[in-house]
Amino acid sequence: MSTAPTPSAIDERPARQARVAACLARSLPAASVLVEREALKPYECDGLSAYRETPLVAALPVSESEVAAVLAVAREAKVPVVARGSGTGLSGGALPLADGILMSLAKFNRIIEVDPLGRRARVQPGVTNLKISQHVAPLGLYYAPDPSSQIACSIGGNVAENSGGVHCLKYGLTVHNITRVRAMAIDGEVLELGAEALDAPGYDLLALVTGSEGLLAITLEVTVKLLPKPELAQVVMASFANVEQAGEAVANVIAAGIVPAGLEMMDKLATRAVEGFVHAGYDLEAEAILLAESDGSKEEVEHEIGKIIEVMRASGATDIRCSASELERLKFWSGRKAAFPAVGRISPDYYCIDGSIPRGALALVLRRTEEMSVRYGLRCANVFHAGDGNLHPLILYDANVPGELERTEAFSAELLELCIEVGGTITGEHGVGIEKINQMCTQFRTAELAQFHAVKAAFDPEGLLNPGKAVPTLNRCAEYGAMRVSRGQLPHPELPRF
Amino acid sequence: MQTTTRIAPDLPAPALRQALLATLRTVSPQLHVVVDEEGLRPFETDAFISHRETPMLAVLPESEEQVRAVVRACARHGVPVVTRGAGTGISGGAIPRQDGVLLVMSKMRRVVEVDPLLRAAVVEPGVRNLKVSEVAAPHSLFYAPDPSSQLICSIGGNVAENSGGVHCLKYGLTTHNLMAVRAIDADGDILEMGSRALDAAGLDLMALITGSEGNLGVVTRVTVKLTPLPERTETLLAAFGSVRSAAEAVGEIIGAGVIPAALEMMDRVVIEACERFMAMGFPVGAEALLLAEVDGGFEEAGEALAQVRAILERNGASEIRVAVSEVERAGLWRARKGAFAALATILPDFYTIDGTIPRRCLPDVLERIVELAAEYGMTVGNVFHAGDGNIHPCIFYDAMKPGELERSEEFGGRILELCVEVGGTITGEHGVGLEKLKQMCVQFRDPEIAAFHDVKHAFDPRDIMNPGKAVPTLKRCAEWGGTHVRAGQVPRPDIPRF
Repeated sequence: MSTAPTPSAIDERPARQARVAACLARSLPAASVLVEREALKPYECDGLSAYRETPLVAALPVSESEVAAVLAVAREAKVPVVARGSGTGLSGGALPLADGILMSLAKFNRIIEVDPLGRRARVQPGVTNLKISQHVAPLGLYYAPDPSSQIACSIGGNVAENSGGVHCLKYGLTVHNITRVRAMAIDGEVLELGAEALDAPGYDLLALVTGSEGLLAITLEVTVKLLPKPELAQVVMASFANVEQAGEAVANVIAAGIVPAGLEMMDKLATRAVEGFVHAGYDLEAEAILLAESDGSKEEVEHEIGKIIEVMRASGATDIRCSASELERLKFWSGRKAAFPAVGRISPDYYCIDGSIPRGALALVLRRTEEMSVRYGLRCANVFHAGDGNLHPLILYDANVPGELERTEAFSAELLELCIEVGGTITGEHGVGIEKINQMCTQFRTAELAQFHAVKAAFDPEGLLNPGKAVPTLNRCAEYGAMRVSRGQLPHPELPRF
Repeated sequence: MQTTTRIAPDLPAPALRQALLATLRTVSPQLHVVVDEEGLRPFETDAFISHRETPMLAVLPESEEQVRAVVRACARHGVPVVTRGAGTGISGGAIPRQDGVLLVMSKMRRVVEVDPLLRAAVVEPGVRNLKVSEVAAPHSLFYAPDPSSQLICSIGGNVAENSGGVHCLKYGLTTHNLMAVRAIDADGDILEMGSRALDAAGLDLMALITGSEGNLGVVTRVTVKLTPLPERTETLLAAFGSVRSAAEAVGEIIGAGVIPAALEMMDRVVIEACERFMAMGFPVGAEALLLAEVDGGFEEAGEALAQVRAILERNGASEIRVAVSEVERAGLWRARKGAFAALATILPDFYTIDGTIPRRCLPDVLERIVELAAEYGMTVGNVFHAGDGNIHPCIFYDAMKPGELERSEEFGGRILELCVEVGGTITGEHGVGLEKLKQMCVQFRDPEIAAFHDVKHAFDPRDIMNPGKAVPTLKRCAEWGGTHVRAGQVPRPDIPRF
């Protein structure tokens, strides 16, 4: 979906590229500055592969001074910079700009320090999420947020997107699990954000930078909280005769005052796809299954599992099973974690949506999703973090069938707007990036969007850090609004239209 | 860095006041305005009573529309606005300005909604902290942050100061217990921040405004998270022969992976005052008391109790009392909650410091404070949130004796600088306000202070929202730096001096 360059831009490009690459080469080793089309190929897109763009150059800094050098070149040459972690992001936040530098931080990946007593680890941005947990496992500790991509995704990317995972219902998102971020502003100044102590004076710039999708500063170092590994974890699998009933069971679990470590839902389309792929032992007759995990000490888990089973039964579960061993627990989870690739096997293409809704609206939203699925003539599998109301409907389509991609996009837009309608949001844990930039116009009014731009300008007055992502311009919203008048109401009526 | 330019009022003070009054009466005829000297007196200060100022006017809006009208009128006339909740803040954040309007939010005190399934309550800013727990109680829920002033302090003020409380070790500060905040910006526009779902799209303006001490906007509505009331709560009190062994026990409890709901410490000065004031029957000769509370599921709390008890014994506790009834539990808490009242019997005045340090530094910092007390010839008592390293040394003085107030303030400043030196911060839960502007220069370097000003400017370009509080100007930091040369090091050498 790249915009076609103007002829003059094509003429200028090689010269511009050579100039920027030469500037970068003054401070970075030759191997860390990529200009060849082949070498740039892997950086064309992130996990949102429907969008691709070849960057002007890619820079691979491995130290703070190299990051500073890249930013200096960006300032001097007035070229934008897009920071990239491992490229697993699903909303296109790391999609390069044709006239910009793509800065990959994947090799800036040392674990600097682990403090077992303070339960902290200080790491560079390229360290992968899982690597942290593996590194501190001998100390009986782990890092709680666990996006499904945890084997590959980087902590810098997690900070940029405020990533979640199946355990964030109990343990929170990235922002709840970090204490400090050392970041570099576009002017090359190092900012120390957050504090070791519970509270930090001044404005909460740590929270501001977390989830800012590379728009405000470049993360150089992250101090993460580590948690003691729970003594025991067990998972309950409950089957339901319909999706709505499963949605109500989720509400009942929460209403009973239980905070499970994870509470996931999968519908029949998803369980069948998975079962053919990993044999997780799911109930294939059930219209929906719930996976509810409890962790903690042995007594605590026993007590909580008992309560969960009681609620599931009262909510009309047709079958309930509880993992009898660690092996079986992992087997139950293997299906959930493999759900996306499994769905990929039953459909040529799929589109994963990420929205959040208040838990109370779960049953309603699932019913409306089914209606939309029929109306758009597209199958939709539901695999998601039910406990925290974070939906991940997967719309199955075939890009080779004319009109299916467009129908999929319309379906997805309608679903996200339904999320807003019921009081939820257009992101759960994947960020806005380029994917949901139009929905931001529905989510927010002009005052909030203007405030986002003002904050962006406060950090990056020239708009060099990942411009065009995460926050739409007011003009873009006016155009988008003009196309989508819902219920007779024109969004952003105060904006001039053309 | 952006420079914030306040529009200099073009009228002399009395005329400006008349003009503003006229505007207010036109745009908001129903608005309650206090103009007379007598009526303004109660608003001269908050709980940082050593500073006082009479505002130009005080207004007590009853609706969001009235708040918007006031902010717009002030913006039009270039008059500063200081927002005040219940006036219990102890860093002077709500101290009025002679040239400004005091916006008193106490009349906006409706509980709009309690949603047990969402585990949330929607309240207006003037609602008292404790009131939220009271309305949530029928649903077996409570609002976790509990500042000692919870009986009277308001939710709006809690958001402004990011307040904590004795239970924030386990349940977090205000910022961790919010879902959404609605605020009026300096233009009078409404900003909707956060969401009813786990994540919110866009930059995290809610975290930014939480703890911003009225500098970025006026909070008009807050959606707070509610927490299930624990099944079981256990409270115990342990006496120690030395502050060091008590502090070491604190470290060991946290290190063992127990997260108590509260873990409070009192030293001998405080114990003796409580004993004289309330006849608690504490063991004679105890140098330190630890008050620990554990809560959760029935098994969970029982297990934590056993663990904590064993650690306290191992660290040489001379006596341990476990509350066996609700009455006893309340009795144990009486000493902690009544401590500040008891301290008032030592000397006519005392000054409470609020700083945070890494837990491992507790024993050393407490010893250092005793040394400093000797140096200044003053008495200091310690009663504080030991579990999260939030210290509250109380310096006793007699304001009637010339020089004592100044000495106590200097001593307090030294303690805060000591917090920074060991890697902690100059606030725990009371905010910066006017009180700690100077220490902000010790806590932060130029780039961070500049980033704070840039953010402030992005929200409030004309600097009408609580100007002069929370963040010092770089110029003031340079001036103060000159008086704080320590160990041969000039702080902030990068700023030009005069």
